[in-house]
Amino acid sequence: MILAKNITKEYGEQIAVNNLSLDIPQGQFFGLLGPNGSGKTTTIHMLSTLIKPTSGSISVNGIDVQKGPQTVRESIGLVFQESALDRTLSIEENLYFCAGLHNISKKSAGPRVNELLELFELQSKKNATVGSLSGGMRRAVDIIRGVLHAPKVLFLDEPTVGLDLPSRRRIWRFIKQLIDEQQLTVVLTTHYLEEAAPCDNVAFIKGGSIVSEGAPEKLIDQLGKTIIEVNGPDTNALIERLELKTYEYMIEGGVLLIRIKDYETNKLDVIQSTLRGKADAISVRKSNLNDVFLWLSSNDHGLK
Amino acid sequence: MLIALNAVLGRELKKTFRQKSRLLASMVRPMIWLFVIGGGVGSIMPDDSHQNYQDAIIPGILGMTLLFGSMLSALSTVYDKESGVMRMLIISPMPSYAVILSKLASSTLAGLLQIIMLCVLLFALQKLHFNQINWTLFIFSLCLTAIACAALGLITAVVSKSLDNFAAIMNFVIFPVFFLSGALYPVDNLPTILHWIAVANPFTYGVDLIKHSIAITQESTDFPLHVDALVLGAFSIVAIGFASWKFTQESTLATLINKLTGGKR
Repeated sequence: MILAKNITKEYGEQIAVNNLSLDIPQGQFFGLLGPNGSGKTTTIHMLSTLIKPTSGSISVNGIDVQKGPQTVRESIGLVFQESALDRTLSIEENLYFCAGLHNISKKSAGPRVNELLELFELQSKKNATVGSLSGGMRRAVDIIRGVLHAPKVLFLDEPTVGLDLPSRRRIWRFIKQLIDEQQLTVVLTTHYLEEAAPCDNVAFIKGGSIVSEGAPEKLIDQLGKTIIEVNGPDTNALIERLELKTYEYMIEGGVLLIRIKDYETNKLDVIQSTLRGKADAISVRKSNLNDVFLWLSSNDHGLK
Repeated sequence: MLIALNAVLGRELKKTFRQKSRLLASMVRPMIWLFVIGGGVGSIMPDDSHQNYQDAIIPGILGMTLLFGSMLSALSTVYDKESGVMRMLIISPMPSYAVILSKLASSTLAGLLQIIMLCVLLFALQKLHFNQINWTLFIFSLCLTAIACAALGLITAVVSKSLDNFAAIMNFVIFPVFFLSGALYPVDNLPTILHWIAVANPFTYGVDLIKHSIAITQESTDFPLHVDALVLGAFSIVAIGFASWKFTQESTLATLINKLTGGKR
């Protein structure tokens, strides 16, 4: 479905994306994760034909992005970080305007507009101007706009950035319904990592290159399923005492985090007995994508 | 392509009639020029030419309405709140040159809608008279001037990186284009430098073309009819061609996309 080979994007001296390759099969829910400025958005813009890579090749639906950007755009939908709607027009007017831009007449777009408004629970608001809507609703309209022309691939660039928690949950409920009902291939960027947990596959990107890629569960397994959090008083003394190697621990906000793999459960007992009386608090929890992300972005040792 | 054009123009129509205060402002501006400047400057002229000055600047005021209507509409696309629409346009399957052409069409329409209302007002105030107008030429001149103004706006939009606020656009683009033209005074009487600037200003020819189509101002035209039409037509074609070319350039698109999507570069 989406195949990117060795794509690089340079802005003058600066390399935004460096020799990155991706293979996203049809129907996959793919997450591109990484800190701000890591090249996620630039990558999405290249995959969605908006900017050209300096080198490398991309094909979407079997069509070379460089050769047929217009054809590619007919089969993709894109939801930007910022809304792509006319605030002075109503929801319905915006959607019909967008349909028109895709060369779909008002008459033939009608049923789909209604179906999507229904799905996103916006039927009763369809005559309200977009400017009068809450941030969450506006984002919902943006997503309807993105899938209005029944694209095969939907790109979501930080779809929930700036929204409060209830709105974020709602938006995700809608996106999941869409994925289930429309058999979309979805490419997501986000830095709310818990949102990427339902992805089939994720890639962590750092400094314009992919540093780790795979199913979320697999990456968590690689990291270690268990995390021990140890609170001070002197974390460095505790580290020395435990004889930890750098890739096993990290310090985050004054808290010592130690990762433990399945076969290392005896370590748990060792740590607990060694630190008894020395640490303020010790807690044990399951690891998640946030931990993977923290380790990847703080540690040059990767996930050994 | 037709459906897309229809959608773009339909949106412009809806917007024009929805933004009532903007519409009202676009009618107040020419009235102020006509009665305050026209009356004020007219009053320092000899008695018999008092009324004449007001009549003489009517083509200039029609041109000004097109300049503000079409040029501002074309300029604003990229920078103001409408950028949401620009995002829709750049991700649509339309080729980049079609985005420019659709913007040209809707900006031209924006100016023409204002001019229609202004004409109704001028007829009601008896400042324009039905039988003094060569209608074919009048409509032709207004359309061509509107296109030229929209094209001027598009060029400014594609080449400028810093003209992102209204005041800068007013001071550095619209006011010079308006004042350094034949809108308020005949080009022939201007001091040499101003004269040459006015001759190089395409807007001058738009106003002159409108003068040709109205009986009272026909005698005060600066250039022959065909020169006006040729200059305006040639300018529009070159400007649209340049804007489309520039807009499809990688560097322009990248800047625009980064601007629209909050990119850092």
